[in-house]
Amino acid sequence: MTRFVENTITFPYRRSLGPLLTTFMTALTEKRILGSRTGDRVLVPPMEWDPQTGADIGLDLIEVGPVGTVESWTWVPSPSAQHPLQKPFAFAFIRLDGATTPLLHAVDAGSPDRIAKGARVAPRWKAKRAGRIDDIACFVLGTEPEVDGPDGPPAADLVTMMDYLATTTYRNPVPVAADRAIAATREGRLLAQKCPQCDSTYAGGRGYCVLCAVPLGIEHEVDLPTVGTVTNFVVITPVQYPGQTETEPFVRMFVLVDGTHVIYGYQAAVDLPWDQVRVGLRVRAVFAPASADLEEVGAMGGNLGNLLGWTATGEPDVDDPDLVNRIF
Amino acid sequence: MATPSKDIAIVGWAQTPMVRRTEQTETQMLMQVITDLLKPLGLTRADIDFTCLGSCDYITGQAFSFVSNLDAIGAWPPKRDSHVEMDGAWALYEAWLRLQEGDIEIAVVTGSGRSSTGDPALIYPMEMDPFFLAPLGADPLTFAALQARAVIEAGIADERRMAEVSVRSRGRTGPKADIDALLKTDYVREPLRRHDLPPITDGAVAMLLATGDRARKLVKRPAYITGFDHRTECHNPSFRRLDDSPSTRIAAQAAGLHDGPPVEIAELQAAFSHEELLLRHVLELGPDVRVNPSGGALKSNPIMATGLSRIGHAANHVFSGGRRALAHSTSGPCLQQNLICIVEGRS
Amino acid sequence: MIPCAVVGVGQTHHKTRRHDVSFGGLVREAVFRALEDAHMTMRDIDAVVLGKAPDLFEGVMKPELYLSDALGAVGKPMFRVHTAGSVGGTTAIVAASHIQAGKHKRVLAVAFEKQSEGNAQFALGSGKGASLGAGGAFAPFIRAYIHRSGAPEHIGWKVAVKDRQNALKNPYAHLKLKDISIEKVKASPMMWDPIRFLESCPSSDGACAVVLTDEEGGKAAAADGRKPAWILGTSSRSEPPSFPGRDPVRPAACLQCADDVYKQAGITNPRKQLSMAELYVPFSWHEAIWLEAHRIAEPGEGWKMIDRGETEIGGAFPINCSGGVLSSNPIGASGLLRFAEAANQVRGVCGETQVDGAKTALGMAYGANSQYFSMWVVGNSLRPFG
Repeated sequence: MTRFVENTITFPYRRSLGPLLTTFMTALTEKRILGSRTGDRVLVPPMEWDPQTGADIGLDLIEVGPVGTVESWTWVPSPSAQHPLQKPFAFAFIRLDGATTPLLHAVDAGSPDRIAKGARVAPRWKAKRAGRIDDIACFVLGTEPEVDGPDGPPAADLVTMMDYLATTTYRNPVPVAADRAIAATREGRLLAQKCPQCDSTYAGGRGYCVLCAVPLGIEHEVDLPTVGTVTNFVVITPVQYPGQTETEPFVRMFVLVDGTHVIYGYQAAVDLPWDQVRVGLRVRAVFAPASADLEEVGAMGGNLGNLLGWTATGEPDVDDPDLVNRIF
Repeated sequence: MATPSKDIAIVGWAQTPMVRRTEQTETQMLMQVITDLLKPLGLTRADIDFTCLGSCDYITGQAFSFVSNLDAIGAWPPKRDSHVEMDGAWALYEAWLRLQEGDIEIAVVTGSGRSSTGDPALIYPMEMDPFFLAPLGADPLTFAALQARAVIEAGIADERRMAEVSVRSRGRTGPKADIDALLKTDYVREPLRRHDLPPITDGAVAMLLATGDRARKLVKRPAYITGFDHRTECHNPSFRRLDDSPSTRIAAQAAGLHDGPPVEIAELQAAFSHEELLLRHVLELGPDVRVNPSGGALKSNPIMATGLSRIGHAANHVFSGGRRALAHSTSGPCLQQNLICIVEGRS
Repeated sequence: MIPCAVVGVGQTHHKTRRHDVSFGGLVREAVFRALEDAHMTMRDIDAVVLGKAPDLFEGVMKPELYLSDALGAVGKPMFRVHTAGSVGGTTAIVAASHIQAGKHKRVLAVAFEKQSEGNAQFALGSGKGASLGAGGAFAPFIRAYIHRSGAPEHIGWKVAVKDRQNALKNPYAHLKLKDISIEKVKASPMMWDPIRFLESCPSSDGACAVVLTDEEGGKAAAADGRKPAWILGTSSRSEPPSFPGRDPVRPAACLQCADDVYKQAGITNPRKQLSMAELYVPFSWHEAIWLEAHRIAEPGEGWKMIDRGETEIGGAFPINCSGGVLSSNPIGASGLLRFAEAANQVRGVCGETQVDGAKTALGMAYGANSQYFSMWVVGNSLRPFG
């Protein structure tokens, strides 16, 4: 039975708006909606370029709406976490008065039988506006704009940036071979798979031979020694970013396992200061106790199950000029 | 715009089982499906001159997710290789251009995706206009519904015909084929009901393309690509007529759809039932053209491979003696971007 | 194969943050410059090819959809490639393929990255902690090169200085380090031992666009007094991420790709027959590594060319006259910039960074774990060797 792991990622983005969107978004904080005039059309949402020809449109913005007419709509009975309303609502194409094209937005109509093509709608503004399209919380039936609380002030400065966050949970299978390799680390074992065609051996349970492009199964498993030699390494000075867990320099090592051609890449050092790591250093694998509850981390730099990393054995270094070339 | 002159043909293709959730990684699926493709043709990975893979990082949830898929193609010794962040149908397009250059003979293209990995309703809004649409969580289902309404208003579709498309595509019989009963079910997004929506499918497709002489040596009846084109429209559906698909029309014209004998079948990437009716209308397919005998995207919808599998099923028609078939692929909200591939057999 | 020429090149001013434009606006800046250079408008273009690195960098999935109209592609083919760091090069190659296949006559290749919208370290680690970054991935390769070649450590510093000095002559370059010196590079913090901060590429917002035409278009430009760059060969190669014995310092994919592109171009001695090269050098040591893996220098000899100053503008074999990736790095566009700068060299339009009498040039990009390679050789005529 294949195991699945869930991984929730929140993507943090901060977008620059440029002159046209800056004007539009800033106006939203003033509860005004702008369209871009090009020829005899007024585009809403406003565009930097003509959506048909790509030609520059320029900064000719005029106020439209705020009341508009529903041109088309669909009912959303069960909204997603990203939707503007967390109760059933309509997504509608709304042509604001004075605009040539419709804007997509939510309409809080209560039930699908209360909305129809031709319905007049007006914005319900958020009381606190940041200069985003969802400063319009939604549209409401009728011709009276609303504010969803005690009205807040417009932006003090031009709004030039926009934050965007999107959270998604991914559910991925752990290949059987990888799961078995992870399970083996709970017993302090390093499990690999050996290709019957070319003898290449793969640590960590990849489940196939890269060179022969054939699947490898349980019958191809081999136990590896848990001692080896550092062939290469990198010391990383961490850069801060959302989700970063490191603050001090840390090392990642490449370990050639004794008596094999198997390299464990990007391995952590355990009880081994980063400035003592060198090519030729003898190391042995360090495993967390079977009972340890470890979070699974990604391929590069992450631990494989209970294999926490490697520590020095105290044996003399290996002197081999070719060692450093063994990165893979 | 000209039509390249070199003979290039689809020689074979293979697909993984199309399932709701596979236990295989994308790389494992590809390894299997490429082997399944090559074996019956008596070829090995060493025979492949060029590979082009189609997949999508956001479906996988990992930057550079396609890199490990190189393990599946046998890129050792190294290969001429490319990757498109598009459906495998476009990977085929790149390979078709590449083979036209005349120096190589065999290309393998793939499309792959594990749609089950994430929630499409949360992933796909990230494909939309980042200022006006993504922040509203505007999802593909919403756009499909708005397009369906436009298509219905234009008289090109109605809810009954949409249900019929679904029943036919899924090969439903008995009570499950009761149109009146289907039309009594709730809307998921008015005017779309559950049966109008595609399933979530994991799967991968691999296809082998060869230059004419090589193709004829490999199989008796290759499916020659005699027309291949794709076109796009502006992104935001606010600025489009949703009861039309001009990019499909231009691509079909450029691919020579109306220049030869009529196609016998058309495999359309219509994930929503109304899309089949719209495409059929825009492509001016006559009543005798069989649409989606494979069941189409309503039966299985492996994202990033759905389009390539349409081309595969069109090729199947030629392999089994058919004369001319059309395949279509699409990407983006409300059929923003459309691809037309015409395959023909020769006697 | 149908001959293909570069008749227009455009790029943005590259900066850490181009907060003055939207990301569509950024891309359009490069596109309009390329079209102007080609004496064309969007209407003249038959097809558009877009390249960029992971969509997770900007958080717009399949941005070719959003950018279709921004790029003037409505009613036209809009194609999107993604081959990791080599993608900019692949974009040019696939665009050329549209012409070489006989499908189209005028194709626009566009590549961009707006790194400031997101966080590359975050994206590379897919949101997890202890991301190694590109430097962490490549540092071991550099350590291996230094060990096997016996190169002294100042080679890395020297390249870092040379490329930044070149950048001072390139109006579009991101880093403008007026007082760059060996001492400064040497004194800069160690980021990914053995790579120092000033031996590393910056993170940039930027875009590049190239207009390609068939033979007729190239000849028409030439007749109008605007020199085209003729494409003499294009090639790409990939190899798997990791398997026992893989050599990322002298990757087989790189050697084969170079051999292939030289063969197409009629080059038997790249050191003699190429006038210059724009190589993808995100960390200074990669100049030495790539000189050898492109057979411009024998194994172990690449660093000596650098030490002798041969790779400077005015040297015997100039590398990265533009300032290279070390000076501007809008990741997805970085490869196309290499290809475009190589084209501009043989067009003779490089101004202060021009190599005198450049006849042929190599543009190169690579990606992922030194696995994806794309290259083209361009010349000032279709038959530069007679």
